[in-house]
This record gives sequence, structure tokens and C-alpha cells, in this order.
Amino acid sequence: MRGVYTPVTKLRRQVFTEIAKLAYEEKDLSYIEQLPYKIIPGEVAKYRDSIFKERAIVGERLRLAMGLPLRPVGEHQPVANGVEDCAKPEIFYQPPLVNVIPFACNACPTNTVEVTNNCRGCLAHPCTNVCPMKAVSIVNGRSVIDQEKCVKCGRCVEVCPYSAIVKYDRPCAAACGVDAIGSDELGRAKIDYDKCVSCGQCLASCPFAAIADKSEIFQLITAIKHGHKVIAEVAPAFVGQFGPLATPEKVFEGLRQLGFADVYEVAVGADLGAVEEAHHFAHKVATGEQQFLATSCCPSWSVMAKTLFPKVADCVSDALTPMVATARIIKKEHPDAKIVFIGPCAAKKLEAQRRTVKSDVDFVITFEELMGMFVAKDIEFGDMEQAEPVEQATAAGRGYAVSGGVADAIAQAVHDLYPDIDFKVDRAEGLRECRKMMTMANAGKRNGYLLEGMACPGGCVAGAGTILPIKKAQTSVKQFKDQSKLQQAVENPLVENNK
Amino acid sequence: MKRLQVQVCACNKCIMMGAMEIMDSIESLKKLKVQLRLQTQIDVAMDKKICGCLSDDASPVVVINEEVIERATPEIVMEKIVKLTQRK
Repeated sequence: MRGVYTPVTKLRRQVFTEIAKLAYEEKDLSYIEQLPYKIIPGEVAKYRDSIFKERAIVGERLRLAMGLPLRPVGEHQPVANGVEDCAKPEIFYQPPLVNVIPFACNACPTNTVEVTNNCRGCLAHPCTNVCPMKAVSIVNGRSVIDQEKCVKCGRCVEVCPYSAIVKYDRPCAAACGVDAIGSDELGRAKIDYDKCVSCGQCLASCPFAAIADKSEIFQLITAIKHGHKVIAEVAPAFVGQFGPLATPEKVFEGLRQLGFADVYEVAVGADLGAVEEAHHFAHKVATGEQQFLATSCCPSWSVMAKTLFPKVADCVSDALTPMVATARIIKKEHPDAKIVFIGPCAAKKLEAQRRTVKSDVDFVITFEELMGMFVAKDIEFGDMEQAEPVEQATAAGRGYAVSGGVADAIAQAVHDLYPDIDFKVDRAEGLRECRKMMTMANAGKRNGYLLEGMACPGGCVAGAGTILPIKKAQTSVKQFKDQSKLQQAVENPLVENNK
Repeated sequence: MKRLQVQVCACNKCIMMGAMEIMDSIESLKKLKVQLRLQTQIDVAMDKKICGCLSDDASPVVVINEEVIERATPEIVMEKIVKLTQRK
């Protein structure tokens, strides 16, 4: 479903745009009660069984976009309940970040193997033969699976000559690499927040638009409107996200037009991190003192690795993530500024709430949320003159946005700084794969390795808050990499300055 | 070979409403040359804002051989293009 524009995408973006407009136009906040009617106009249901339900769900999405919690379904509460508290120029939302809107959830069946109409009741019926549980039988000339006995091994699926047996899971649970999605008493998806690492893949995968994360756009716009000096740092995955007219230079110019005092590339922090991790690798891992080094830039991955594998938790790099490293550089130059990280990522919102990061990064928004701001303010990239060039980071740092890019940058930095060290790299994308890799590492089978983990399959360009289809985004990032004046992380002059 | 000119609006609002996915769907047709019996070259461009003079809720906008399609979707656009390009 990723990369296809569906009504789910449309609804999500409309909500961001309306909330951005609400903040910019400084309307009375009770206007939020009318927004469900603006987003879902008329009297006929368009997406679900009832227009009232559609509006109620949009109401919940509007609340989450304001940073407010979901309303209890069994109690009367207006959409605007508590809205006056969130009109602040500072971070407002409280965890949980990722929320299932219960009455939007379709309560899809969990992990099921099912015979479809395609079954022809063939003479061979290999489905019965391969089943280790004797769960498949032929009844009235058709294959039937006894769900009580079935262990979902999928053997019958593979062997059916008519592709008549399907295996499927709930899209949210299938996308969740840490198995954090269970069911409530009504069979609807429920997130186990002890397991969830807020990667956001479930919200990008739910075909019923029942999962959403909280947003900080309203508070961010309020800060700009209150005259705070707000500086944007943009994650390397931004290239191409805003359409063919939005060159990286024009995106930076557009951000200045939105009222940001200045704009930085987060790839700068990536350069610093790559060099720091290269030193660490040479001093600790190459000497055998530490088993391996796992990258730290993806917060979902690093949290998952540390919680599920406590024995090797200290092998996860403690270098600052590019977001934090860049924020610190900015704060050094502009101590009075508020900093907003603009990225593809839901988990960064949670990272910014960590005790050690809170003072560095003030807001986190996604590309999709930023798009809402551009549309609300009528900023057109086509109307801009060619803007000044963006030349802060190296090709290596810019490559962090695509899976494999982080390990490449660090490996190259090790090679540049310590040419004698020879080592191996392993990498994984998607939390399920990351877990497999960490299981190997935990068992001592990755000693001396550099491990790159990315929670989103494809890397940051596949994050939950992106706009561009993943393949295209990877190409755009590569093009921008190729334009870089400096190639390797060690060449970045800031690396020297920040020693 | 005949040519078909297709323009997809590249303004912010159209992109937010799915213009990039429409662009993808048009380009995907080129891979179906055999199945669709395409006999026309599709020239597709997405390099400027073209929805300027239209109403607020027109996005996304696609122009096929000067015919303006408002609130375009991949479904509508692909159907139109295939109709115009198929061998009779």
C-alpha cells in the first residue's frame, strides 16, 4: 500500500493542513468542532458505513494532530475538550505517541490461513498431504482448514496448484517488527506500549486509517507566531519529498518563508556521528575490547536492540544521533533559538522527549506535517527564484537517509582514519530483520562487526511521515549525494571544529 | 507514432492531494505497452503549476491533450490515457 495515494493518505494530510491553518489564522479554537464537517462535507458517507462515524474519527485525528489524547468513547466530550491547554509555544503532547482509534479499527482477524473460492477440490489435493497437524481435510469437494488445529505454517499455501489458500495477518501486526500489536476485548488492535518503539510502520500500513501519531505542528506554528527564533534542521531524507519543483535549495527557501530563522542539514550531524563512531570502532571493537558496534542513529532500532538484548546493550553506539548532534551545533551558535527537527520519522518525536535530548530539540515534525504547513501558507516552489545553494554536509552524511548509507559512511570513515583496520559489516532493515541480526550478535556470531540497523524497510526514506514513494525517494537522495562538494565524512570542516 | 501530451500540476496542493502518485501511475503505463496495445508515445511532464485559475478544490489537476481534469485520480487518468492511445 505504501507509495499508493489512498483515501487514508488524503484524510491524514487534510487533517495536518487544517490544523496548520487553524494555527496560522489564529481562529478561536472552538472552530475545531467545525473541521470534521469541512473535511467530510455533505450528508452521504464516502469512506465508511456512516458519515457520523467518519466525522467522529476525523475528530479524533484532529485531536491527535493538536497533541491531545483520544477521547473516551463512552463519555460525552466535545472535540475541543482541553484544546485551550495546547495553544502553547512548546512541546505539549504526552505519550503514548502512536494511538489506535478503537472505533475506526476493523478488528481484522489475526494471523489466518484460509481457503478461498479458488479451490477446485482437485484429485491431488496436496494441501491435506503436507499438513503436519492434520488440520486440512476435503469436505463436500472442497478443502477446509480446521482453525483450531492450524499452526499457520503455510505449507498448504505453498503447495496449492490453484493459489487457492492464502495466509494473511492484520496489516498493522504484519508491519510491526516488535510484535507489539495485540487485541482488546472486542478484537480490535491494541498496542502494547512496553514493546512499542514508535517506528510508525503500523500507522502507515493500516488500510482503515485507524492508527495515528500525535503531532506538534500546532505548538510549532504558535512558537513562530509568538516571535520565537525557531531554527529548522532537516533530515537527509527530505530530498524530493515535496515534488519535482522543490529542489533542496527551494525547500530551504520555503522554510525561511514559513518564518524559520535559519535552516540546517541534519546530514552535518551525521558526518560528525560517522567520524565519532569510526574512532570508537577503531579503539574499542578493532582491539577486541567490545564485541561489536551497532549504529545509534535510528531511535526505534537502538531502543529495540537495547531493551531486547540487554547483555550486549553497551555495544550499541552512544554517539549522538545526527538530530541531536546538529541541534547542539545550532544551539552553540544560537543559544536563544528553539530547534525543530523535520524528518520522515515518528520515533524521533519520542527521542526528542528523552531527558537528555529535551534541552536540545524543541519540536519534531514530519515531512507530511510540513507539507500541511506549506499548503496552509500557500508557499509555492514554482514561484521561487533559484535559491542559494545548500552546501553544509558531505555525500556520506546525506547518504544516511537510505538503508546501507550509515554503515557505508562509518566504514569509509574508518578506512580514511585507520587504513590498516579490516572489518566486516552486517546490516538489517525492518525491525523483524534487525531482531534476527541482533540475535546472531547476541550469540557472539558478529564479533568485530559494524552493525547497521534501520527500523523502516528501505531506510529513513521509508519512514511513516514521508510523502514520496520509497524508490523515488532513494533516487532523489542519491542525486543530491552526487551534487555534494565534499564526499567523505572526515572532510567536513565541522568535524575538526567539534573535537 | 502519435504523441499524447500529459501535464500533471506540480503545485504544493496538488502534490499533497496525490499528484506524484498520478505521475507514477502514468509512467507505469509505459511498462504495459503489450497488454494495452499502446500505439502512442506518452509525453508526460510535471514541471509547473497549471491549476492556478481553477477553483480551490480542483486539486489534483491533470491536462491530457488540452483537456483539463480536475480532482484527478490514477483511475480516471489511466482510463482516459488508455482510451486515447489504444489501437482501434
